[in-house]
Amino acid sequence: MSQEQKGWKEIPIAGVCWRPATEYATGDWKTFKPIRDPEKCTKCLLCPMICPDAAIKWNKAEEDIEFDYDFCKGCGICANECPTHAIKMVREGES
Amino acid sequence: MSLFQEIRWHGRGGQGAWTASELLAKAAILEGRYIQSFPEFGPERMGAPMAAYTRISDAPIKLHCSIYNPNVVVVLDPTLLKTVKITQGLAENGVLVVNTRENPAELRKKLDIASQKVWTVPATDIAIKVLNLPITNTSMLGAAARAASLVKLESIEKVIRERFQPTLAERNIAVIREAYKEAKTE
Repeated sequence: MSQEQKGWKEIPIAGVCWRPATEYATGDWKTFKPIRDPEKCTKCLLCPMICPDAAIKWNKAEEDIEFDYDFCKGCGICANECPTHAIKMVREGES
Repeated sequence: MSLFQEIRWHGRGGQGAWTASELLAKAAILEGRYIQSFPEFGPERMGAPMAAYTRISDAPIKLHCSIYNPNVVVVLDPTLLKTVKITQGLAENGVLVVNTRENPAELRKKLDIASQKVWTVPATDIAIKVLNLPITNTSMLGAAARAASLVKLESIEKVIRERFQPTLAERNIAVIREAYKEAKTE
């Protein structure tokens, strides 16, 4: 959307992904973010599997799941699928 | 109302920035004015930043280029403020309408805006309250219509009734009326 004129050295090579999505936050624009209630969570590990953005990960050291909010787009699939309703979607900026 | 107005809408794919641009253009037609409405996509996918443009004039428009110096910039999504240069090319006496919970003075300081007018409206809150969806195009249309006095509220309501099914139209009109009322400036 930028109207800045770029020189040929700055233009990305056509058709080539020169920078992978792991290098920048692809989910910084969500409206709702998932919050987990650790009391209700049984660590069934359904959510890491169904997350379309692979934003829920198993933290080996802590033996717990964790959300990667840089990549979570706030779709709410995890909250919808959680068998114990341990995940709630809240407005970004509220906790 | 001035003779010639150029509006740039910043949104994300799926938020309805182009629809808002079209609705505004149709409302302007009802008031007997000449219009152009076109979108500009980067990557064509949901969530990617995009822009839409509207030209409104009292005389036939012979310009067919992109809009580089808009009089009005409308931002549909507050997260765009940190990724897109929303003030780029905005006319010195222009109007900036942003969907945010912050007040206009804070936003002016944050974006380092000099002479332009700044309007804010908590459009996401309004949309979630009334539509139960975070789609902010109609609320920002209402806010923009007031901030830059582009078209009359009645014309927008008429266009909304033509475009949407009756139940959806009434809810969107409720959103537009609330945003029109809630929009504030310094």
